[in-house]
Amino acid sequence: MSLYYSFTKWTVTPPTPRTWTGIGNYTDAFTNIFFRRAAVTSIVMTVTAVVLSVLLGTLIALLLDRKFFGQGFVRTLILTPFLIMPVVAGLVWKNQMFSAAFGVLNWVLNQVGIESIEFATKYPRWAIVGVLVWQWTPFMMLIILAGLQGQSSSVLEAAKVDGASPRATFFQITLPHLRPYIELGVLLGSIYLIQVFDHIFVMTGGGPQSTNIPLFVYQRSIGGGWRFGSASAFSIVVVVATIILATFGLRVLSGLLEGEEA
Amino acid sequence: MAEVRFEAASRIYPGSETPAVDELNLDIADGELLVLVGPSGSGKSTALRMLAGLEFIDKGSVYINDKDVTLSPPQDRDIAMVFQNYALYPQMTVASNMGFALKQAGVPKDERRKRVEEAARILDLEPYLDRKPKNLSGGQRQRVAMGRAIVRSPQVFLMDEPLSNLDAKLRVQTRTELADLQARLGVTTVYVTHDQVEAMTMGHRVAVLDHGKLQQVARPRDLYSKPMNRFVAGFIGSPAMNIIDVERHDGVLQLAGQPVPVEMSTADALASTDGSSFGLGVRPEHLALIGDGGSGIAGEVTVVEELGSEAFVHVATEHQGERLTLVVRDEGETSTQRGDNVQVGFNGPTHIFGPDGERVGS
Ligand SMILES: Nc1ncnc2c1ncn2[C@@H]1O[C@H](COP(=O)(O)OP(=O)(O)OP(=O)(O)O)[C@@H](O)[C@H]1O
Ligand SMILES: [Mg+2]
Repeated sequence: MSLYYSFTKWTVTPPTPRTWTGIGNYTDAFTNIFFRRAAVTSIVMTVTAVVLSVLLGTLIALLLDRKFFGQGFVRTLILTPFLIMPVVAGLVWKNQMFSAAFGVLNWVLNQVGIESIEFATKYPRWAIVGVLVWQWTPFMMLIILAGLQGQSSSVLEAAKVDGASPRATFFQITLPHLRPYIELGVLLGSIYLIQVFDHIFVMTGGGPQSTNIPLFVYQRSIGGGWRFGSASAFSIVVVVATIILATFGLRVLSGLLEGEEA
Repeated sequence: MAEVRFEAASRIYPGSETPAVDELNLDIADGELLVLVGPSGSGKSTALRMLAGLEFIDKGSVYINDKDVTLSPPQDRDIAMVFQNYALYPQMTVASNMGFALKQAGVPKDERRKRVEEAARILDLEPYLDRKPKNLSGGQRQRVAMGRAIVRSPQVFLMDEPLSNLDAKLRVQTRTELADLQARLGVTTVYVTHDQVEAMTMGHRVAVLDHGKLQQVARPRDLYSKPMNRFVAGFIGSPAMNIIDVERHDGVLQLAGQPVPVEMSTADALASTDGSSFGLGVRPEHLALIGDGGSGIAGEVTVVEELGSEAFVHVATEHQGERLTLVVRDEGETSTQRGDNVQVGFNGPTHIFGPDGERVGS
């Protein structure tokens, strides 16, 4: 359906008959400055949010992968951000954390003598990335923790007997073992994060720094633009781009980890 | 080249009352292949891991070459270990697996490759150097695990049931190769197994453990001919020794109404031991079926286990008012059949254990 619409010119207000335009909408997509800007935003947000949440998730998983008192409780606690609805997460961060007047972050900054910053307005892109990382780190942590616990303890003991330092053990044995888990996390994270909408919608409502493709498609269509033809084309470009990006991303990652072994 | 010494070394796992290894005293000579054997849960792996530095030593100490290593981490002990599941590094090739320890030690790449290739030649692993462990057979993996140990030329080899994942035939073959390799390299080796045949065939000396306590350490033949207590007597030998509670009547031990032959010295020792209840051990090969009309222990054949070269005959008899089955060795291709009435006689040494289970004599 969407595919069909993407080859037509179809505006609802003012109502005009739908006309076939061929790939016109697609060429438009690549020349439209707003679309290109949204694409850059999408990519930058997704890549930084995925990379940061994987790094943080790995770190926390390594810390949690040992026995300690209250283990179950801490794990549940860490998992909660992932369970919160995106809209709620966006609102909570916007009003309670980032807000210049009431936000916790600014309160902390004020305590150390720094003036209030309206994060969501001043650094919209990074404020959103921050919330995404906050939400997705637990998910990455969970996947990587599963990987860590699937590692045979005698392999680690063998490494110890073979005289490997903890650092060498991590980079030469644990990390290669975690590779498929990290890949899975990156893949799922990218697919979801490139489609992120709610957070941006409630936190900034869009803007040059924070309008990503989904929000842009929304603005083009039911959000006021009512140009369904080109909106459809954009969303299809996104799907194709996601697939390419994910494949390419995995290649690069595999290559990096392969290099570690030598 | 190294000597190893356990001095009253104990390991008590957290949350457990009884020690998994209880005051182990053991001296292992340079170049010796010492086998630790015992039933499941007897503390063999724990003892080995204490020597490896993978298990905390709660009491006592462990020495390698007269150096106290009780508190040293594994990497400072210059030991190599072969794990039961091999614990190969799954993402690395065979060559990287074998060279891993050398790499950690900072051995230059050329030298590393030379040593890996040499070990691969000894173990017939040359065609597989570029494969990953998951693409190898069980026997090949086992050899890679061995290779990983020998490239290092460590002071001591530690092996925890390295053959238990192989099929029966390969196990017997590998056992011989392993013993041969150890003798050629002359590296002090501690070898854990629950298989007493493996222990007897491979060990220069064998240490028998039960419930974390060392029962006896001796050369295989001494373990066979002079077990120091009932546990060792029952554990070593296949099929197992017949062990029977016997009573003393008029100063003579009686089995099914017949007097048990003992040596003079044993008779003297018995005379000075209190109690009336003793343990009698006699191996199947030291019992024999004697023709009808002989003056043995009368009984009825219940099972005949024919192995070709020999046969084991189970004879049911009555001893102290209860049914007792004796296992007796007979010639191969025996004519004895189930249901036959036979007489059993002594045909070799007996082993007498006191009321406390300790050896009195033969
Ligand atoms: N990590 C542990 N924590 C607590 N108890 C343990 C631990 N490992 C072993 N044990 C206990 O210590 C005892 C000795 O265990 P060990 O693994 O040394 O036996 P084993 O002789 O190697 O047996 P197997 O032939 O089955 O390998 C057992 O009773 C076991 O339950
Ligand atoms: Mg064991």
